[in-house]
This record gives sequence, structure tokens and C-alpha cells, in this order.
Amino acid sequence: MVLSTTVSQRKHIKRKAPRGFLKRVFKRQKPHLRLETSGDLLMHLNCLLFVHRLAEESRTNACENKCGIIKKEHVLAAAKVILKKSRGLLCAR
Amino acid sequence: MADSGSPDSEPTTRTLLRRVLDTADPSTPRRPRSARAGAQRALLETPSSRRLSSQTKTTARRRSQRIRSIGKLAHVQASGYLEEQTPRTLLKNILLTAPESSIVMPKSVVKPGPAPQVVQPSSRESSRGSLELQLPELEPPTTLAPGLLAPGRRKQRLRLSVFQEGMDKGLPLSQESRGNADASSLTSSLNLTFATPLQPQSVQRPGLARRPPTRRAVDVGAFLQDLRDTSLALAPPDTVLEDTQPFSQPLVGRSPSVHHSLPCPSHSGAEDAERAVSHRTRSTGPRLQNNSPGKPAQLLAGKAEVDALAMNFPNTSSSIFGEVGVEPLQDGVGGEAEERTEKSLSMSKVKEAARARGSARAQEPEGHTQVTEAEGSQGAIETKEPEGSSGDCPTSSRRVSPELASSTPEFLQAKRIQGLEPAPPPSTAVLPSEPLEPLSARLPPRARTPGPKACQNPYKTGLSHYAKLFSFYAKMPMEKKALEMVEKCLDKYFQHLCDDLEMFAAHAGRKTVRPEDLELLMRRQGLVTDQVSLHVLVERHLPLEYRQLLIPCAFSGNSVFPAQ
Repeated sequence: MVLSTTVSQRKHIKRKAPRGFLKRVFKRQKPHLRLETSGDLLMHLNCLLFVHRLAEESRTNACENKCGIIKKEHVLAAAKVILKKSRGLLCAR
Repeated sequence: MADSGSPDSEPTTRTLLRRVLDTADPSTPRRPRSARAGAQRALLETPSSRRLSSQTKTTARRRSQRIRSIGKLAHVQASGYLEEQTPRTLLKNILLTAPESSIVMPKSVVKPGPAPQVVQPSSRESSRGSLELQLPELEPPTTLAPGLLAPGRRKQRLRLSVFQEGMDKGLPLSQESRGNADASSLTSSLNLTFATPLQPQSVQRPGLARRPPTRRAVDVGAFLQDLRDTSLALAPPDTVLEDTQPFSQPLVGRSPSVHHSLPCPSHSGAEDAERAVSHRTRSTGPRLQNNSPGKPAQLLAGKAEVDALAMNFPNTSSSIFGEVGVEPLQDGVGGEAEERTEKSLSMSKVKEAARARGSARAQEPEGHTQVTEAEGSQGAIETKEPEGSSGDCPTSSRRVSPELASSTPEFLQAKRIQGLEPAPPPSTAVLPSEPLEPLSARLPPRARTPGPKACQNPYKTGLSHYAKLFSFYAKMPMEKKALEMVEKCLDKYFQHLCDDLEMFAAHAGRKTVRPEDLELLMRRQGLVTDQVSLHVLVERHLPLEYRQLLIPCAFSGNSVFPAQ
């Protein structure tokens, strides 16, 4: 339903939320729970923001190392930070 | 009067005639004589041929008729007196020079005239009219007046018709007429008279002005010649444009210009398209699009590509358009076809990676993978690469061989593979074609795999979706391993997410996760603050369709959707 927004980018990003995928993931994780209709959309939003932060952090790491490309190490380091941020309740505040 | 009869000027004769006519009634034959004497003088200067004299006789008779209508027998006498050269020439010139008046006036004058005389004047008029109107018409009227004038006169008229047809001939004809008529001046004057009457005729009678254009036959011929010249001039560019043969030198010469003229994205797309597409297909569109971003640099580097570009440029342009049209289609396909397309795309991408000048550029495959992921294809290349072992073997072998990176649709690849499989690793010139062919050969077998692969790893598919978004947000080239790492992180993230939601729901005493739980989670994560509300984030990152579903909006009828 949502078509990728055509931008100057050559890559056409799908803005569509994989609602089925998200629902399936949640169901597999927590089968005893139910997810509301709009919940998966907000889940998708959360994922987007998470990925966004992760990408920013990875890019920062890569730029700090003065690398033209993002490498695995950069991503790993970034993930540690961001995941910690996204823990929410589980991580100690 | 005599002054009016001053020689050389035809209009003077006309005016003279007019004056004669005017003076015909009251005037004695002498006056016309004097007038005609003046005309004689003018005529004397120009020797008149007997034929002309005969004509003048008839004209004189005509004039005499007119005069009779106006005047008396004295005019006849005068006309008789005028049987000499002067009246003939005078009348001739007058008639010729002032055809309009001659036509109209003589008609009006002739009407009252006797019938027999009418014949001649009618012939004259017709002759004159024919002269004025169209030369071919003159011939019959000229024949009608047999004894009137010597055939030279008619010949002159005929020649005049020819003269009308060709200005060039006019002068020699006039000369000939002169020779025949023994009155060069007369003939010239006649010619001139013929020539001049047209102009005044057109002036006096705009309706007759159309006739001169009939002489455009000559002009048409010249025009046709000009057209031929212009067509010849136009031929070369047409041939050049029409020459779409591949590797045609003129096109090659132009291709770079065309190259540069194109915008970069379309340019790269064109390059991709040209490699991939000798036969564009809609399905190839998205692949081309996908491949194009990853390979602009590679494509630009290859000169051989230019040739391919040249020949395929027209195709590419259209293919690009097709691609653009396909883009929404691709997106609109949805999850159902996504997997399939992903498979195919991934396969094509793998092939691209294989073809990429891996030896020289290690980044290319990564870039390809990145591109492929970033493009949003659901297929995970990393997963598919190992999965497509059968297909990958040849691809891996291809990888070794340095080849141009080219995005090739399945069809193109198949075609090229058939032709190129036996071919050894390519030279730069052959590169564009070779990789395509081997890929095409692989594509058919690979076509089956993408489907089941997508089904087997829907989880991976979903993760790859977000991985592509990651590469999109990063705006930097990434390694394949980095993308794999991203997917792992995503997996962990999902686990954390579900756990948090469960906790929130349990804290609220519910077994259903509601959007409020999500909002709380985001607030805990620091995404939603007092300054930045959830709705702001929704508006920022989600498309309109989702925004409408998430943000309550008031509608008509005092209703709010979604209901709070």
C-alpha cells in the first residue's frame, strides 16, 4: 500500500511496514500475548528509530576511524551502545 | 497628346489610348491621329512587324469599334489611317500594357460593337485574357484569330506562355520573337507589355491577381530542387539518428555526448540497462534500477560500456522509463511477489557481484550487497548466496574473472549466457555481453530458488528489510559482514522489544499489548520526550497511511478516527 517514496536516491526504499513479519515475530516471542492492530505500526516505528540510531552511530564510528565504508567493527560497537540505550526496563537505569 | 505619345513608355500608350478614347467622341480623327501619330512616333522608334501590324489592324479595328461606339466613322477613317504601323503597335501596346482596361473597357465598348467585330475582339480579349490568365489558354484563342496576326504573334504569345513558365526562357523567347517579328523592340515591348499588364492587372483587378501565381510552376520546380537540397542536407542526420546499430562509430562518437547529457542516475541506469538490456522487459526494470545504483562507478569506468550504451541508449532511455514505471510496481507488488522478486533480484545481484570486477575491486560485491539490501529487496543476499549453491558455483567462477559489473535481467542474462558460457573470461569489450550471458544461463535455474528461499526464511526477509533501511540511513557503503551484524543486532533488539512489551502489558494487567505500551517503551528509550511527542515521531517517520491510522483525527459528524 505504501509505495516507496521516490527520492533522488537511486535506491528505492520500501516504506512499507512488514506488518506480517512483525506480528509473526511477536507471536513467536510471546505466544501468550496479543498485539493490537496499531501496535505493530508503532513497533515498526520503533524499529525504524532503532535502525536509524544504529546507522548514525555506525557512521560516526566509521568516520572516526576515517573509513570510507562501514565495517563490521563499527556496527558492533554501535550496536552495543544503542542496544543499551534501547533496553528500557531490562537494563539498569 | 503628342507628349502623351512620347515613346518608350508603355503606360504612355495606355494613357494615350485612354485619351484617345476620351477624345474619341468629340475629337476629330485628327486627334486620334495626332495621338496615334505620337504613338506612331513611339512605334516608329520600334519597328513593327507586319504581323504586329496585322494585329494592330485588328486592334485598330477593335479600337475603331470602340471609337465607333463612342465616335463616328471618322474613327474608322482614322483607324484606316491607322492601318499603318502606328495604330497597330499602338493598339497592341495599349492592349498589352493595359490588359485590365483593355479587357474591361473593350468589353464594355465592344458590346455595343457589331457582332463580327466582336469575334475578333473577343478573340483578342480572350487572347489577352489568356495572356493575362494563363498562357496555355492563349493558344486556343490565338488559333481562333487566324488571320488577325501573323503566326509570329501567336508564336510570340506561345513563347510568352513558355516565358511565363520559365523566366529564363522569356528573354530568349522574346529575342526569338523579335527575330521572327522583325520587331525586336516591339516584341520586347510586347513581352514587356505582357509582363507589365500582369502587374497593373493585379493592381487594378485583385481578382485576377491569382493568375500570376499560376506561373509558379517554375518556382515550384526550383522549390522542389531546393527541397531536394534540403532533404539531402537532412539525410545525413537522419541516417545518423536512424543508425542504431551497435558499435556504430557515429553513435559511439555520440555516446559520450549522450552520456554526459544524461543525468547521473539515469546515466548509470542507462548503462546498466544497456548492458542488461538488449531486450528490455518490465521485469528487468527493477533489477536494472537496483543494479544501477550499485554500479555507476563501475559502469562509468568501462569504455566498452560506452559502446554498449551507444547502441542500447535508445533502449536504455525507454528502459529507464520503464524502470521508473516499474518502480512503483515493484513496491506495490507487496510481500507476495516480494519474495519472488527478491529471489530474482538477489540472484541477479549475486551475479552482479560475481561479475563485479572483484579482483580489482573488493568493494564492489559489498557495494552490491549493500545496494541490494538498501534497495529494499526482500531477499537476503548473504543467505541466498550460500543457498544458491548451484547457481553460485558458476557465479563464483565468474567472480574470479574480472568482468564488468552489469545488471542484467534474467532474460538478458539467459540470452547472453547461452552465447557466452563457452566464452572465456572477457576482454573489456566483451565484458558487457559476457557477464550477461552467463547470468542469463544461471537465471533460469535460480528462478526456482528465490521462491522457496523466501518462504524458508521469512524472518531473514524481514530482517533484511530493516538491514536495507540501515544502509539507507547510513548513507555510506557497507560491508556484507556489517550488514550481517546489523541483522544480528536487529534480532536482539526484537527480543528486547517483545520482552519490554510483555512487561508493560503485564504491569498494566493486560494480556494484550496496546499502543500505550509502545509509547511507554519509546519514552523509556528516550525517543519520546516532553518536547518530542509520539505523534511527532509518527509524522516524521511513517508514511501517511500509517499516520492516519495512528494519530486520531477528527472527521465530520463529530467522529474521531481512530477512536480513542
